[in-house]
Amino acid sequence: MKSHKKTLLVRKIFLYAIMVAITLVTVGPFLMTIFMSLKSASEGIYDSVLPMAPTFQNFIDAFAKANFGSYFMNTVIVTALAVPLNLLFCSLAAYPLARMDFRGRGAVLAIIIATMMVPFQLYMAPLFQLTGELGLRNTHIGLIVLQVSTAFGIFLMRQAYLRIPKELEESAYIDGANQFQVWYKVVLPLVKPTLVTLAIFTFMGTWGDYLWPLLNSESSSMYTLSIGMASLAQNFDGANLKLISAASIITTIPTLLIFIGLQKFFISGATDGAVKG
Amino acid sequence: MMTTEENLVVPMTKKQRKLLSMSQLKNPKTLKKMTPWLFLIPSIIVLGTFFIIPILEAFLWSIQDYKIIAGTGEFVWFENFQYIFSDPKFWNALKNTFLFLIFILPLNVFLPMVLAVLVNQQIRGAKAFRILYYLPVITPMVVAALMWKSMYAQGGMISNALLSLGIFDSPTNLLTSSSTALFAVAAITVWKGLGYYMIIYLAGLQSIPRDVYESSSIDGATPFQQFRKITVPMLIPSVTLVSVMTIIAGMKIFEEIQLTTGGGPAGATSTLVMYIYDNFKQLDVSVASAAGLVLLVLAIGASLLQMKLTSNREEDLRG
Repeated sequence: MKSHKKTLLVRKIFLYAIMVAITLVTVGPFLMTIFMSLKSASEGIYDSVLPMAPTFQNFIDAFAKANFGSYFMNTVIVTALAVPLNLLFCSLAAYPLARMDFRGRGAVLAIIIATMMVPFQLYMAPLFQLTGELGLRNTHIGLIVLQVSTAFGIFLMRQAYLRIPKELEESAYIDGANQFQVWYKVVLPLVKPTLVTLAIFTFMGTWGDYLWPLLNSESSSMYTLSIGMASLAQNFDGANLKLISAASIITTIPTLLIFIGLQKFFISGATDGAVKG
Repeated sequence: MMTTEENLVVPMTKKQRKLLSMSQLKNPKTLKKMTPWLFLIPSIIVLGTFFIIPILEAFLWSIQDYKIIAGTGEFVWFENFQYIFSDPKFWNALKNTFLFLIFILPLNVFLPMVLAVLVNQQIRGAKAFRILYYLPVITPMVVAALMWKSMYAQGGMISNALLSLGIFDSPTNLLTSSSTALFAVAAITVWKGLGYYMIIYLAGLQSIPRDVYESSSIDGATPFQQFRKITVPMLIPSVTLVSVMTIIAGMKIFEEIQLTTGGGPAGATSTLVMYIYDNFKQLDVSVASAAGLVLLVLAIGASLLQMKLTSNREEDLRG
């Protein structure tokens, strides 16, 4: 019996050792970035792993000299525009596709599922030309055209609507409510968890978006955090690397806070998102 | 352009006028017919303008020699396709795309499975490890790419580790050597996806009944035997899901490459997506569109595979 306990203990220690080692792989790059961001101007970037004289100067410089205050604001603006619009448009469009019988429903659904498969790189050039023609180049609205309504969002909301029992809506109709009232007052409150999941997807998609803002923003006044960092990284030297590290942390903190606050939705969202591909 | 717009607008306003007349509004049948479209119209306008039209235009451009600055193009039919199919850069990009997928596929299938089994155990701190393993997933891709670029650089963490392990004699940046660059980039992709695929596996693991493990350990099975004989076979549906998701996502990756190697050195990390991007940057939008259609065909193939596999799986579950 004693030896059995002993092997169990050994096994446990072995297990924790592996798990900690994996943690070093997943979290290590963040630690390196934090250390890098705290290094002072006189310190060589690869002199030592830990900063010798830790300072927040790089964070101050990122805002004061490298324009990251403006990049941060742009990112906040586009995300604050994209998330509510996406929730509204997708939750509206999904409702008739889940609950109403009308001509053309099958076609609309088929088109939505088909667009989910189309890679962005196929139509980025025509989209680029289009935003130019519409005067959306180098504007906040121009940056979110891909997030305002998404086929994925409509699909996700439709799945959520299909899961609620029809009886709830039927009793509301008997009480004389119209379809908009039923959608707004009965159905939407029931799919709140899916709305949060979709909000997370749209937030993550907009906050860290790179390729489209890269094409659609012409002046640095319209740069988001991603583009600001990428433009600094064109000169990947020591001074810039410290700034980029500080900016990386500034960029990651909001997503981290949302993750900590809404953890369980990330977990359910990951499996919901499996349909997205 | 104007005339087509007018043609579109006039019948719409007539219909709207008809709709707005009070007698019609009070007619419940007409209203009921319109309601679905009232819900759909905001998304139809947005998706129609910013997805459907550009996608159709990409098809059109692929058979034209479209000049994006002049905004005109002549039909050249299959010349763009002939061009890319005789372009060694295209074949190199296609080769790199497949190499990349072949490299990340086994890692994406196996590593997150191990992670999921580890954090699925009833031990203290398992939840905390789950969060720590998920951290790369919530990191913006630009941040991830630049973090790794700094670690790969000469004197950086990885270069130092390789030196002290004796794998290289002198400080080496894996990203700047053409024989290792593609794998160095792939490591970033794998790292970023670990936590995501771990969650997919966790969902699969939770469907395995606990008493299967209990009875097998009474029979004296070691944890390793349990992993091989119970866990892996029971996770096969998750394995197919993870594989197809890896393929679909893997053929579209961009940031990891553009921000670290830009497709170099000497095209060693130029994938199909980078080929499209480079042609677009040179304003060869018709060539880019033709290559985009090749990417579309590959993406549709992978998506259809996924649909087939997931529907099979649902049937199994209903079974």
